[in-house]
Amino acid sequence: MQKYKSSELSRARIFKAIHEAAPENQASKSDIATEALALLSLSEGARPELLSSDAAEAMIMRIQAGLVIGTTIEKIKTLDSLPTTVQSFLDKYALPPCIKIQDLSDFQSLDWGVISTNSDVREDNSVGLCLAEYGVAETGSFVVHSSPEMPILINFLPLYLLAVVPKSKILHYMDDYALIANDIAKHAKTPRNMCLISGVSGTTDIEGVLVQGAHGPKILHIIVVEDI
Amino acid sequence: MQASKPEHFNLNVKKALAQPDLKGIIRRTTDKADAKRAEAVVNFPEFEKARLQGQKIKDHTIKHMAHYLAEFEKNASAQGAIVHWASTGEEASRIVMDICKQHNAKKVTRSKSMLGEEIGLTHSLDNSDIERIETDLAEHIIQLAGDPPSHIVWPAMHRSREDVIKLFRQFHKDPTSSEEIIDLVDSARRDLRTKFLAADIGISGANFLLADSGSTCTVTNEGNAELTTTPPKVHIITAGIEKLVPSMAHAVPLLRLLTRSATGAEITQYITFHNGPKRINDADGPEECHIVLVDNGRTKMLADDMKEMLRCIRCGACMNHCVVYKHIGGHAYGSVYPGPMGSVLTPHLNSLEVANKQTHACTMNGRCEEVCPVNIPLPKLLRSLRAQSWEKKFEPLTNRLFVKIFAQLAKRPKLFQFTSSCSVLFMRVFSKNGWIRFLPLAAGWTKNRDLIAPNSQTFMQQYKKHQKPKSNRSA
Amino acid sequence: MLNDSTNLSDDSSDNSDQKKIPCVNVGEKRVGLFVTCLVNTMRPSVGFASLSLLEQAGCKVEVPEAQSCCGQPAFNSGDDEGTRQIAYQTIAQFEGFDYVVVPSGSCAAMIKKSFIEVLKEQPEWLARAKRLANVTYELLSFLVDVCDFVPEGVELNGSYTYHDSCSGYRSLGVYEQPRKMLAKVSGLSHKPLNGHSECCGFGGTFCVKYSDISNEIVTEKADNILDSNVDFLLGGDMGCLMNMAGKLNRDGHTEIKALHTAEVLAGMTQGVIEVKNAGK
Repeated sequence: MQKYKSSELSRARIFKAIHEAAPENQASKSDIATEALALLSLSEGARPELLSSDAAEAMIMRIQAGLVIGTTIEKIKTLDSLPTTVQSFLDKYALPPCIKIQDLSDFQSLDWGVISTNSDVREDNSVGLCLAEYGVAETGSFVVHSSPEMPILINFLPLYLLAVVPKSKILHYMDDYALIANDIAKHAKTPRNMCLISGVSGTTDIEGVLVQGAHGPKILHIIVVEDI
Repeated sequence: MQASKPEHFNLNVKKALAQPDLKGIIRRTTDKADAKRAEAVVNFPEFEKARLQGQKIKDHTIKHMAHYLAEFEKNASAQGAIVHWASTGEEASRIVMDICKQHNAKKVTRSKSMLGEEIGLTHSLDNSDIERIETDLAEHIIQLAGDPPSHIVWPAMHRSREDVIKLFRQFHKDPTSSEEIIDLVDSARRDLRTKFLAADIGISGANFLLADSGSTCTVTNEGNAELTTTPPKVHIITAGIEKLVPSMAHAVPLLRLLTRSATGAEITQYITFHNGPKRINDADGPEECHIVLVDNGRTKMLADDMKEMLRCIRCGACMNHCVVYKHIGGHAYGSVYPGPMGSVLTPHLNSLEVANKQTHACTMNGRCEEVCPVNIPLPKLLRSLRAQSWEKKFEPLTNRLFVKIFAQLAKRPKLFQFTSSCSVLFMRVFSKNGWIRFLPLAAGWTKNRDLIAPNSQTFMQQYKKHQKPKSNRSA
Repeated sequence: MLNDSTNLSDDSSDNSDQKKIPCVNVGEKRVGLFVTCLVNTMRPSVGFASLSLLEQAGCKVEVPEAQSCCGQPAFNSGDDEGTRQIAYQTIAQFEGFDYVVVPSGSCAAMIKKSFIEVLKEQPEWLARAKRLANVTYELLSFLVDVCDFVPEGVELNGSYTYHDSCSGYRSLGVYEQPRKMLAKVSGLSHKPLNGHSECCGFGGTFCVKYSDISNEIVTEKADNILDSNVDFLLGGDMGCLMNMAGKLNRDGHTEIKALHTAEVLAGMTQGVIEVKNAGK
């Protein structure tokens, strides 16, 4: 796909118009960068207070307080107990023992017993299990990055979603995640998608009534693992 | 429903006010949004500081727009995205259509984007043999109904549950027999699921463009943006150039403001940063990614000293809190963007001649500015558009004459006082029991309300009478 | 309702005794009263009430004869040149006073903010406009914030609700001041107004230009006023009060009397009859 000639003309026209609107503005790149950095220091005191000074605790408290739509949370010690945790989740919602787990050796090597781990998430009513890159206490979010091992759709197609979040990777604020993302970008390893997921797929589009499970998950369960 | 036109504003208003249930329908949404936003602000005592930060971030970016646009282009290209530029909406729409044609696309999914409406993309797609599939539930509803959007956050707010039941029964393959909202949503879920996965191209907008990484950011509650942009082979993003921010860290404070101001939620469920096409060996994602950067009047706003409007993050709070919007609804404005922000934007996207009436349909009560998450002085901007209309003589001659005569009198105090005392006498001719039910030349007033009858002399006349002969002429 | 069947000018009352009230506190403030068009033509008693209150508060008040309108109709219509012409003469007339006081939030905001807007490209006038802006006050906020005034011995039996006019409330931050003073009026109790700071639909030329939208807005306002079930509707802007009272009267709700707060505080709730007794 080649770019259009008209696109080049428009580009020139847009830059010319911007320049003409403020011809005197000739700030240097470093001046602009300094100014931009100073704006970030304003975040201190301009963001909400967390429920606890400990990020993991704050995230757990936030979700337990019902502040993250359609979401529950629990803490486990190690990944070894993950299959048992998943089984109780399936029992809670009377679901058959079929899930789709993310293709990771950490998950594959666990003893899943009767649970089959490769169901088709394209089917509705399915259960997905993924490993998050980060957690964010401020918003009760988990973060996923697309990769060969992380199909983005596993987070969007199933009706039920389980997300494993390593306790050590729970951040205080979204700003903290942004700094990490910035660092990733510097090393030119930016994944195609970086998703902050804070609750389940919801809509208020019909008469303002909230319904969970609009297109994606209607139930989200976050499992914080202490040692991973 | 036929889309109304901005130049027919007065007629649109008449029609809107003639719909007896419209007000209740609008209120169902705006009252809830108003209450939830107020609660969100109470729960976020740092809101004032956050909004000052948000304003400064946008102002900084607007000030260095050329720098950041160039950065964005460079970094997005490095991520593998193809960046296109469009001066006008028409051009933007044509670029998107050409990409669709090159890929021989049959089905296109679209994740709600007001810019897409602005550039006429929905019409272009409908006029081609490509099937357009709106994936946001509200956009899905108005697509089925053939309506234009009536709100930038809840485009289907004008449709009732009964309307939705009818539409879904008519158009869904396997419609629900239930009339419960939860089942209606489920019906849409089933209908759209296969369409998501079968689309050739997914088109989204962007809530933010991050200059330092070339990322585009989408914000949804339904998760339809990711379902639109991941399965197809091609992802096209259309975005206005004002969506720029320096980096993700600069988008964060604006995200805090956006969701609280729009729905009262502390955050939306899905915030995704898109960085070009899929990487080698990625489990999923499009093979091609195009970004169309659109001007369509935005640089004109810079030149016209309307740059504060470029701060707008499209939260819709101004319309939720506008007394005029709350009575006439979004369709009356006859444009993609209704309410206060729309009344400032439309003259630039369209023309002032066509959309000047909207700038006058405002009581200047300041509520929109009060709730704006980035402190846009909307009344000031609306008034300066009125000044432009005045200069260009778009105002009806009778209005101009009235104002001119008034101003001529007001700059001559003696004559003004004399005219005031005459007007009092004139009014008293029509008064009865202390009230005036009809007054010539003031029918706009007496059509709907009574006017108090004045005393037979003005304050000045009475005051002078009680003053001793000494002059009261001031300093 | 917001009318007085008694004709002020037909009454031979002499309000010269008002002027004998001694200045009570702080160094005498020379105040220029900007009467406003609506008070001048439609409700002179608000002007007399303002005079009385300012004098009670220890001000030396003058009413420059050569005053007209603040220019809102021109400004809001986009006629910047017309607005400037009005601004020039208003500035010239009032810039010699220590303070300029206006019994209206929107007219005060016009002088405080909008003159600056239209004169921004004329440095000399801009400087004069800014000086004037600095000393211009809305009446009720002036009485409390500058004069620390507390009305004494005022009586009015009944309940009231308060409409916070948009300019006063949002542009000038007038909210506590009228409530603080009204709390001192014996016999008067406050009842909350749902949507107290929501626009009443007046909007100056808006209510004539978009009469039907304005009507929808004021209808809702009137419903809220009726719901508050009070004897008096009070406010600080004649435009809003005339709009709301006019709607209530048209719909036959004569049981609610609309008054400017200054009238209540000066004991002039019956128009002229009590003018001479004001400031007791």
